[in-house]
Amino acid sequence: MKDSIVISSRVRLARNLRDYPFPCRMDEQQRLQVIEKIKSALKNCDEKFMFVSMEDIGELDAVTMVERHLISPEFADGKPGRALAVTEDETVSIMINEEDHLRIQVIKPGLSIREAYEIADRIDTQLDKELHFAFDGSLGYLTQCPTNLGTGMRASVMMHLAALSNNHSVHRITSNLSKLGFAVRGTYGEGTEVSSCMYQLSNQVTLGISEKSAIENLQNICTQLSQSELSARSSLMQSMEYQDKISRSMGILLTAKLISHAEAMKLLSNVRVGITEGLIDDVSLDTVDELTLSIQPASLMRAKGKRLTPVERDEARAELIKNTLR
Amino acid sequence: MKCQKCKAADATTQVKRVVNGEYEEYMLCSECAHQMGFDNVFDTSVPDMFGGLMKSIFGAALPSRSQATRCPVCGSTYGDITNTGKVGCAKCYEVFLNELMPSVRRIHGNTTHCGKRQNMAIAEKTETSKTQNDNKAEIEKLKSELDAAVSTQNFELAAKLRDMIKEKEAQL
Repeated sequence: MKDSIVISSRVRLARNLRDYPFPCRMDEQQRLQVIEKIKSALKNCDEKFMFVSMEDIGELDAVTMVERHLISPEFADGKPGRALAVTEDETVSIMINEEDHLRIQVIKPGLSIREAYEIADRIDTQLDKELHFAFDGSLGYLTQCPTNLGTGMRASVMMHLAALSNNHSVHRITSNLSKLGFAVRGTYGEGTEVSSCMYQLSNQVTLGISEKSAIENLQNICTQLSQSELSARSSLMQSMEYQDKISRSMGILLTAKLISHAEAMKLLSNVRVGITEGLIDDVSLDTVDELTLSIQPASLMRAKGKRLTPVERDEARAELIKNTLR
Repeated sequence: MKCQKCKAADATTQVKRVVNGEYEEYMLCSECAHQMGFDNVFDTSVPDMFGGLMKSIFGAALPSRSQATRCPVCGSTYGDITNTGKVGCAKCYEVFLNELMPSVRRIHGNTTHCGKRQNMAIAEKTETSKTQNDNKAEIEKLKSELDAAVSTQNFELAAKLRDMIKEKEAQL
């Protein structure tokens, strides 16, 4: 379901096999054994997985996966003994031997944290029958980093808070949210910057709170934030300056010969608001959201099939945007 | 190896990230890592200042009990865990439980798991006991109050309610 504010919902579960040390203490042979075990267990899931060995793919392919949120930057460094299992539609991706033996991730469009969790939960239950995950009665699922102990679950939503960023109330809100146990992260996860009003909101605490409560809390906050954003948008749209900004953004995107990633993201963010507020009606949200993925540097170079200089990238990006929006 | 940012202190934190489609990797000291928002969860540099001072005087030649104890499964010492911020294996959580608990409490504010259990049959059996049902009803009540507090943006009250809920849930 398309949502004017929530771009996507994501749930990831951290799991480890009881009989192997965590990835920081594994030798190469153990890594390969763990990959094989997980591969064979995944055959019993309803989903069909493709397997990618991370050392076999080039840096460009790996970074493209980071840009599409399939893997973490950490996972893209080409170290041996790591693999990715991913479904064809990229809804489910499982990093094998990242920080934990398994990072089961499910991404769904719009506000659908519960649906994403249901899928992750089903895969987890199925895999546990064969793999026997490390679990402790009081500490819950055992993970390499204690920040994930307990449920091992990180649920997050990617939100487009354009109007709230515009009137600067987003800073006040995010500092309030951290008091409530939510983390506000950059576009590509931990330690990354917020780009063009895209905020990633997630639960912080995993021990002592059930999956259900954590998801409900996140869902409630998300609904609240969406309402604030919507009302901020409609009051912003009263101003002719803001409408002008949106129309001009579209104009630049349609005519520019060179455009940087940062500028394109900023302008697309304005256009996205224009679509949801009915100012722009010949472009769909899907088109804009797909563009925000495909204009990223590695994705762009991968589509072109070669490395490009920054100027060549800006040119290819301008062309791609023009052709898509026309 | 020296920190690549300040080029003065010893690097303790490895950072990997992707910027503009380029993969990059660098080493930082704990101070620079903290400034840039990359923290080690076990970083006890503030409360452990004295220990740190002793360490710098005596170097690594000052073994404490837990530094000498090794996990029988993966061979980690508690020192390995604090230096890397990574626990070695499931057994480490048993062997170093007492040392790890303060960090766990600091991170989560809780020490008892509630949520999905491996053996669901056991969980369902215990859930039916009467006192737990009472507790559950109370949690539901607190949750609706929390929703109300959040919708009026009364975040302070909401934080209090959330903590109460957490406490109740931990008792389940």
